[in-house]
Amino acid sequence: MPWIVAKFGGTSVSTRPRWENIARIAAAHRARGRRVLIVVSALSGVTDLLKHIAESGADEAAARAAQVEIVARHNALLTDLELPLRNALEGWLARLDQLIGDTRRATRALDWQAEVFSLGELMSSTLGARFLAAQGLDAHWLDAREHLVAQPLANQGAWSQTLSATVPAAPDAAFEGALAARGECFITQGFIARDADGKTVLLGRGGSDTSAGYFGAMLRAECVEIWTDVPGMFSANPRLVPEARLLARLDYEEAQEIATTGAKVLHPRSLGPLRRAGVPLHIKDTNRPQLAGTEIRAVASDAAPCVKAISARKGVTLISMETVGMWQQVGFLADVFEAFKRHGLSVDLIGSAETNVTVSLDPSENLVNSDVLSALASDLAKVCRVKVIAPCAAITLVGRGMRSLLHKLSTVLAEFGALDVHLISQSSNNLNLTFVVDEALVDDLIPRLHALLIRADALRAEDGAVFGPSWRELGAGAAASTRETWWRRERAALLALARETTPRYVYSLDAVRAQARALRAIGSVDRWHYALKANPHPAILRALQEEGFDFECVSLAEIEAVRATLPQLAPERILFTPNFAPREEYAAALAIGARVTLDALHPIEHWGELFSDREIHLRVDLGVGRGHHDKVKTGGAASKFGVALDEVETFRMLARKANARIVGLHAHLGSGILDANHWRSVYAQLASLAERFTRIESIDIGGGLGVPSRPDEAALDLAALGAALAEVKSAYPQFKLWMEPGRFLVADAGVLLARVTQTKRKGHVHYVGIDAGMNSLIRPALYEAWHEIVNLTRLDEPAAQMVQIVGPICESGDVLGANRRLPECREGDVILIAQTGAYGAAMASRYNLREPATEMVL
Amino acid sequence: METHTLNKGSPRAARAFRFIRRSYADGIASLVYAFDDGAELVERIAFPDAPVLAPERAQAFDAALDLLHLVAGVSYYKAGVPGDLRVESTTLDEATATFLDALYLHGLGEFAYHNKLDLRGRIRFPFSRTSSGAAPAIGLPHRALVPIGGGKDSLVSVEILKRAGEDATAVWVGNSPLIEACAARTGLPSLNIRRELSPVLFEYNKAGAYNGHIPVTAINSAILVVAAILYGFDAIAFSNERSASSATLEYDGQPVNHQWSKGWDFERTFGELVHASVAADLDYYSLLRPLSELAVAERFARTSRYDDAFSSCNRNFRILGPKPADRWCGQCPKCHFVFLALAPFMPKPRLLAIFGRNLLDDATLAPGFDALIEYHDHKPFECVGEGAESRAAFAALAQRAEWSEDALVARFADEIAPQLEARDLALDALLAPSGEHRIPERLVPFVFDAHC
Repeated sequence: MPWIVAKFGGTSVSTRPRWENIARIAAAHRARGRRVLIVVSALSGVTDLLKHIAESGADEAAARAAQVEIVARHNALLTDLELPLRNALEGWLARLDQLIGDTRRATRALDWQAEVFSLGELMSSTLGARFLAAQGLDAHWLDAREHLVAQPLANQGAWSQTLSATVPAAPDAAFEGALAARGECFITQGFIARDADGKTVLLGRGGSDTSAGYFGAMLRAECVEIWTDVPGMFSANPRLVPEARLLARLDYEEAQEIATTGAKVLHPRSLGPLRRAGVPLHIKDTNRPQLAGTEIRAVASDAAPCVKAISARKGVTLISMETVGMWQQVGFLADVFEAFKRHGLSVDLIGSAETNVTVSLDPSENLVNSDVLSALASDLAKVCRVKVIAPCAAITLVGRGMRSLLHKLSTVLAEFGALDVHLISQSSNNLNLTFVVDEALVDDLIPRLHALLIRADALRAEDGAVFGPSWRELGAGAAASTRETWWRRERAALLALARETTPRYVYSLDAVRAQARALRAIGSVDRWHYALKANPHPAILRALQEEGFDFECVSLAEIEAVRATLPQLAPERILFTPNFAPREEYAAALAIGARVTLDALHPIEHWGELFSDREIHLRVDLGVGRGHHDKVKTGGAASKFGVALDEVETFRMLARKANARIVGLHAHLGSGILDANHWRSVYAQLASLAERFTRIESIDIGGGLGVPSRPDEAALDLAALGAALAEVKSAYPQFKLWMEPGRFLVADAGVLLARVTQTKRKGHVHYVGIDAGMNSLIRPALYEAWHEIVNLTRLDEPAAQMVQIVGPICESGDVLGANRRLPECREGDVILIAQTGAYGAAMASRYNLREPATEMVL
Repeated sequence: METHTLNKGSPRAARAFRFIRRSYADGIASLVYAFDDGAELVERIAFPDAPVLAPERAQAFDAALDLLHLVAGVSYYKAGVPGDLRVESTTLDEATATFLDALYLHGLGEFAYHNKLDLRGRIRFPFSRTSSGAAPAIGLPHRALVPIGGGKDSLVSVEILKRAGEDATAVWVGNSPLIEACAARTGLPSLNIRRELSPVLFEYNKAGAYNGHIPVTAINSAILVVAAILYGFDAIAFSNERSASSATLEYDGQPVNHQWSKGWDFERTFGELVHASVAADLDYYSLLRPLSELAVAERFARTSRYDDAFSSCNRNFRILGPKPADRWCGQCPKCHFVFLALAPFMPKPRLLAIFGRNLLDDATLAPGFDALIEYHDHKPFECVGEGAESRAAFAALAQRAEWSEDALVARFADEIAPQLEARDLALDALLAPSGEHRIPERLVPFVFDAHC
């Protein structure tokens, strides 16, 4: 009968529902005719409390306080599990009491510490055995120390022999036989083992995973299951990258690499024994056991090279050592590394040149809490010039066959090209490629790189054998099903309109109004402006004015368009926010009475008299200075918008000189943003900046509210946005909050109708030509924007063919949709391109002297 | 006539600033002011869970409230700086009037500089009594209020008081999640007093009233005197250090100190005034007065308890985030100085983890650090240490292998240090406590203690 080893971490053993879950999982395995060995961690938080005791030294009161809390935690759970308080854990608690009273506490003796720590797992497994029995599952309690025997490694110090020990676990038929003879279900402790003398030792950080790996190997289990709170390993940290894909299948080496370079879900030490024994490992989600999770097994023979994950480790310190002709100096590197050894620092990455060796140190408490780095640097300074570069982060691309993927990484490398990369390392096992950059860049960089890897087809997210759903999809469940759209309801009317003429844009004012009302409902925003560059169609302007919107214009012509459409509009409801506009436009806007935003020093410095006794708004570029790093600086300097933070004081001085009053601060950080926290952060930054001014009344956090386009993207959570804004607003009630959405209001309200002109097949690529091209809709070519495209004529037919939808413009970039599945298209069919209400007609041109699509309102 | 109506109560056109009345009920103090016959400006200060005032403290409380009313008026007075100060709520003695004259003149020094105003000879608080004699002791309980600001200084005070076994309560005025997070980290009981400025002031500001820096430490001090009487504390332990007393620059022959109310003159005169007019047993002092900024930094570095909670950044971060950049802007003189001052005293990785970046390896920040060491520039208007301290910190780092190659440290060593006298760059001399202070005798050893 095959064995399953199932390991449950701290949170999985801390509440009754979680224990019921364990019982269900074990019972399901039993029902399938498997023997089960359950490995458990201590209750969450208990190991930390035991650490307080282990490190209490002379402070008995601290130890006793932790003891009280430990007893309380376990008693609370016992009550919850409806187990008797007495008897169950009394033995272990008495032992804890003795250990606290032990004289070894003062010296923090290692063997004493090991025993203190071991109590967490001994108690959780004991109460688990009782509970499982009460649930009718006869789980034998097993003392892991009877079976896991540690062996000291060469060079292993006393500390790690006792507190981070290693067990040479290999398939052991005798052990398997003996255990099978005793029963079919067992529960034991993670994290603990014994040494050759029978003393308790610990397996170090992540020790429960390691225990499961050891037992899995010894029993030659069918599978080791690591039950945790997440669905598995992901292609990136899902907290940073919601689009990160679940890794459905990895080989041991890749998994080891990902676990080593960042992922916390699995401890890499657990994999070695399993790899040698050929036992697969599954990572499963305790809350959603039906999900497939991540399966780790031996490398498949037909595996193609592919990036599996991108990870980041923060807190990395680089030591750069420079000297002339070091390779000629025999023993230079030996001297250098001897210094690292002497100071107890282990080196991770190494990069070398003729005159420079740079190495990385992983974060450790030692570096932060002691002078070891200073001592090391002093020693090294005797033999070379030494520079300490920190805080850095190591960004690692992981995947088998990395070297054969380099040609696909050009866009990724270009991204790094814009940064100050301190070190690049390509591991000799060909499993990773690592870049060390400034730490502050990482959180923004990782999502970008992840998207680039997918776009470059280096991370083949569509390969269902390797990648599962994205984190966002898993979170949203099936919510991301087909969105209800107005144009599906209006199909007949749209087909009729297309018979009149194509290409043509059709707008739904109801859809505009619905978005406007949804925005107004979030609260906190005192003044909404419509950024009419998205779509200045008069009917849309009128509809939005009726919905209470003001208008943001970026050119004098836009101001004139608003005034022509809405002659009764009070001029102060127009916000003029141009960029590099000529002097006359500012003068004209001021003469009209519009509110004016300046985004450079030039106007206030050279045309100060224009703004004398006027109220002005200032657009700042929060990019500069925030991260203080080259990329951010390039980002800031490379953006032509806004006044850099370090020039704000100069601007104020010039405004004072010009007798202009700065009454508003504005920043706009980008577009298509789907994460509410971006505005929270911009708002908070602007507000804290505004407090240093004297007359700021309003904070304008711009627009950029994202509209999801791909089916797997979740919509911007307006409730979350409202809550984020309300939080900042309550901290800075003195400022009015302004926003200026554009695309969000109108994108979904417009569709582009076109007709199929020709179809073509080249090799196995099918082209569908339509009469709308990039002269009507340039977003796909300009921004690589993705628009949903349907064959409106054949909306109900199955999407049978993979096609490229192209326009009639003589440009190879005139592709409106690549690799789309559509029903077989025929000449004359009506093709609908969705979400084209924003930046569609507004950006149209007469390129090739082809007239762009006409516009009409439904 | 038309113009006159329009300007009625407009601060800059006003002839008089009036201290109309003040009151206290149910934990709320209300302070009322006006310009001429204009709208009443009412400031409210809320004392949470205020106990019923003990009768033996009533007189002291009354005096404290008067003092608060007079001190807090500076926020409003500055909107118009009229030449006539009318105190209608009480009568002043000469000592109080003299104190207020100095507070309004020096406390508004930077304000006057920026607004190009000359306040000399303009501020004359009227007095009609010589002196009412010393206020009696009222048996205040032996415990201290320690105001905290989220920066390193007050947290050093907290740790000193804890080590000395004092019964201390962390107190702050206003709403600040940063301070709240630091207060929680201290492990002390805490008290958060709320203050609400008159909304009329904002209207005035919009309409073009004078605006600028005010001596906020003086206002907070006066609030805490009221709180001490109300809740029963016999000490208010501020955390102002030695260099807070030095002038930021001279303007038109007058020294201008950005942080005058954090200086020794204010501490001494305010402390004496509290003894004389409020309660003889209420001590007001600064625990860090004999210490340089560097000495404070050295003491701060002794514990890592506040590393991921504190911020001295000039940008007031009311919305906290998990990243260092959410607490340290990295751009302002305070960020620069605190980074530099802590660097000699803590492991480099720890400092970089606090700030999330290495400000001393960013060549573009050279102008900011030059201002700190008074190279090419005058001292900026920020609460930062003396140039000598900054130069000594740089010199110390230039000797440290883990710092010496960083862009700004290397630049200091190559370009600036050769122009300086080596003996002026010694760190040790700057770490030694010195100068006047009002610290209670029993606490002095804990403050002076060079190493624990």
